[in-house]
Amino acid sequence: MSEEIMALETSKTYVTDGVEVLFFNIGEIIYGIEIKYINEIIGIEQITIVPKIPDYIKGVINIRGKVVPVISIRRRFGIEEIPYDDRTCIIVLEYENGTQVGIIVDRVQEVVVVNKKEISKTPDYKNVNANRYIKNIIENGSEIKLLLDCDKLIQD
Amino acid sequence: MARFEAGMEAMVDMYIFETTSLLEQLDQILMKTENDSSFGEEEINEIFRIMHTIKGSSAMMGLENMSRLAHIIEDMFFIIREENPVIQSIDYLYDLIFTASDLLKAEIELVQDGVEEPTDFSEHCMKINEFSDALKNGGGFSVPETGSTESEAPEPEPAPSGIGEAINGRATTIKVFFDDDCRMENLRALLVVNKIAEDCLKLEYIPDDIENNPESAREIIENGFTISFIPAGDTNADSVISSIAETSNVKSYEILETGANNIPLPAAGQNAVTVRTFFEDDCKMENLRALLVISNIQDACDSLSYEPADIENNSESSKFIIENGFIIRFTSSSPKEVIRIIESAPNVKSYEVYNMENTSAEALETKAAAKSAPEPSVNAMNNLPAVADNSQKAVEQLSNMLGNNTKAGSKQSLISVNLHKLDTLLDLVGEIVITEAMVTSNPDLKGLRLDNFQKAARQLRKLNSELQDTVMSIRMVPLSGAFNKMTRIVRDMKVKLNKDVDLVFEGEETEVDKSIIDQLNDPLMHMVRNSMDHGIEDTADERIAAGKNPKGRVTLSAYNSSGEVIIVVADDGKGINPEKVLEKAERNGLLSKAPSEYSDKEIFNMIMLPGFSTNDEVTEFSGRGVGMDVVRKNIEKIGGTVSVDSKFGEGTSFIIKIPLSLSIVDGMEVSVGASIFTIPINSIRESFKIKPSQLVKDTSGREMIMIRGECYPLIRLYDLYELTPGTDNLFEGIVILVESEGRCACIFADELIGEQQVVVKPFAALLNNYNVKQNGMAGCSILGDGSITIILDISNIITDF
Repeated sequence: MSEEIMALETSKTYVTDGVEVLFFNIGEIIYGIEIKYINEIIGIEQITIVPKIPDYIKGVINIRGKVVPVISIRRRFGIEEIPYDDRTCIIVLEYENGTQVGIIVDRVQEVVVVNKKEISKTPDYKNVNANRYIKNIIENGSEIKLLLDCDKLIQD
Repeated sequence: MARFEAGMEAMVDMYIFETTSLLEQLDQILMKTENDSSFGEEEINEIFRIMHTIKGSSAMMGLENMSRLAHIIEDMFFIIREENPVIQSIDYLYDLIFTASDLLKAEIELVQDGVEEPTDFSEHCMKINEFSDALKNGGGFSVPETGSTESEAPEPEPAPSGIGEAINGRATTIKVFFDDDCRMENLRALLVVNKIAEDCLKLEYIPDDIENNPESAREIIENGFTISFIPAGDTNADSVISSIAETSNVKSYEILETGANNIPLPAAGQNAVTVRTFFEDDCKMENLRALLVISNIQDACDSLSYEPADIENNSESSKFIIENGFIIRFTSSSPKEVIRIIESAPNVKSYEVYNMENTSAEALETKAAAKSAPEPSVNAMNNLPAVADNSQKAVEQLSNMLGNNTKAGSKQSLISVNLHKLDTLLDLVGEIVITEAMVTSNPDLKGLRLDNFQKAARQLRKLNSELQDTVMSIRMVPLSGAFNKMTRIVRDMKVKLNKDVDLVFEGEETEVDKSIIDQLNDPLMHMVRNSMDHGIEDTADERIAAGKNPKGRVTLSAYNSSGEVIIVVADDGKGINPEKVLEKAERNGLLSKAPSEYSDKEIFNMIMLPGFSTNDEVTEFSGRGVGMDVVRKNIEKIGGTVSVDSKFGEGTSFIIKIPLSLSIVDGMEVSVGASIFTIPINSIRESFKIKPSQLVKDTSGREMIMIRGECYPLIRLYDLYELTPGTDNLFEGIVILVESEGRCACIFADELIGEQQVVVKPFAALLNNYNVKQNGMAGCSILGDGSITIILDISNIITDF
């Protein structure tokens, strides 16, 4: 029995020296989310308002029979919201405990394997709101991108 | 490293379920016998059986500590059963078993939570051992004898001398090797020893500390396990050896020395019974099920062999079992009993009994022979006439059975189903309900006149609601299970608090949804504890002074009332003093208006606010001020409400109202701007448009509506939820009169959309952090067109007003 398990485990290959990251835009800034959190990406759709909740949670959407709350990243970061257009997307994240949350982003770019060497820690400046949600900084070629901390996104 | 081997994980659920229900059974027996303050033979046997099963299954799961504890209790009851000693400190005995049962339960929970480190039970084991020694020695417990701390009760203990020395001559010595990597060789060796112990007059083995010293496993791996034995009276060495060889995981054995007494006899001789068992199709893991059967019947059999023999470690053997059945050969003093056990074993579909290994005609002959001249039979029974008698009975029974050879296990009308499957079924039904609405109120059909379609749609709707009712009823479980658990709590607290209290059940047969029952245990426990601790007076004298029966009374009652189940936990204790509560609430800064404005009911309900405990001292059971708050939270989680009622000096009752089922409600949809809300039909009284004459305003500008001489407050939904309405003109929109818990209010919305059954989907955890429940939203649901509606919880909306 244990041999089977071993076989199973070895059959899964992990990218050991790199992390797959999905990049997206909020305004001019490029953010990234580790691909392991991402369930799917859908276009913006009708969001049902849920009263009396914090304003960064825009409401709930129906994803194939599941009711999933949606967060506006702009609101969460304290940036002014812009009207949705056809590039606006909802990235549906799924956490380890099965919770699903959608985040509204301006536009999705691509999935890139980021070498671990390109990832560095965030500087410690406390009073910038958006920085609370940044886990790492990615220096990819000439561009600087910010890796989001998905757990903090849904915490207070 | 997980606690279980990979192959076992699938069995964990089953194991937990079985063991939990066995332990519950144990508690019930104990509670019953403690009330009667005597053990009947039946109860002892039952406890014995429970412990035996727990021992076996725990060992199978590799939970050594549990297996050992169960084993020791089993031993103790063995002594009680066999020697029937005068038990002088019966209370202590109960304490021992209750504690053991608690330990086992706690361990099961740990297993469930995936905690890997097994708890050490050795202290409690020791206590039980001491007690059973005391029992064995017939003395009172106060004189624990030294010497025989080992409670391997009836087996002849090996003398601590070299093997073969004391029992030379007739002894047979055999060296046994176990399968490579079978693990826990020492316990497997113990299994071998236990198996042959009955057939042996004398028995010694090396290493001799297999039971307590896991290190001995290494020695066994290296040097093999050496057993030296003299077979008992009628048994011969060969049959012992063959039973060793048949033991699971035995790879090979070497006979080092053959005893003199070695006349070959046909193994498992004439009154052996062969049963071919078939398991249900697709029940999977036939080999392990077969193993379960074996472990069930082991005790009732004198000798036992089966084919395929490698069921325990060869999963291939299940294929053989599927094709050819599982063949069990056994001799027993009561074959009837054994067959009954086989029959009732889980997943057994059918079985065939072949009497003796011969034909039935010969079987009848044996019967005659047994009757006339009881011959020394192969099995190790001492009482030969009894054997003959029994085997005769067995033969009768068997020849009866040969009449209807393959009897299908048709008697089982109950099945146990994994809750997940039921959840999935319910979800599916929910989807069907939504889809039905999607089809029948499809926008494409608007304006068409479709008589036949409507007819068919009506039929579909009828069937769907029937389907839904049936699925609901499958999930309904009587409350008695949850109530019975309270007996144990009351019993423990009675002892600890030294209060004499009766626990009375009423309407425990009332049924609620399984998912609700699971959530009810904790709140019920808190409430019962609260009643016992704070409710009932501290002494009987106090009660007598108050003119009450010195014996306290806690009543658990349940009944149905219009789509809700109402559970009341009532005590006849000292009641709540409203002044004291108010005083304390004021001190803790929990008041929001002048103390004189509070009604008694409001005051009583304050005890369920977070951080409120009227008791000044913290006891083991309650008083930390979290209890009632937790109760309220838990009940609200399942969509129910709790309220408190009390009469100072006469008693307190907690009233829980819970919905019958969580999942599907009849609702009326209303729109407010772009949002759609669903109001549960059972809280709607009527809906109407109002005339200007009906609108009344009070001095602070609050709007009220006058209906048939009564005035109701008006709640504008868009105001409440800060939405943009389609209309804010009261006379254009619709007003719905709603009622909850005797209070009414009018709700103003844009318009009625229609009535529909909706499937309640709980809010995501993220939203629950923001008190959506307290804000009057019970959950959400998906409508036929895929849009989401929010289901309102009228009682929470009304309490805010």
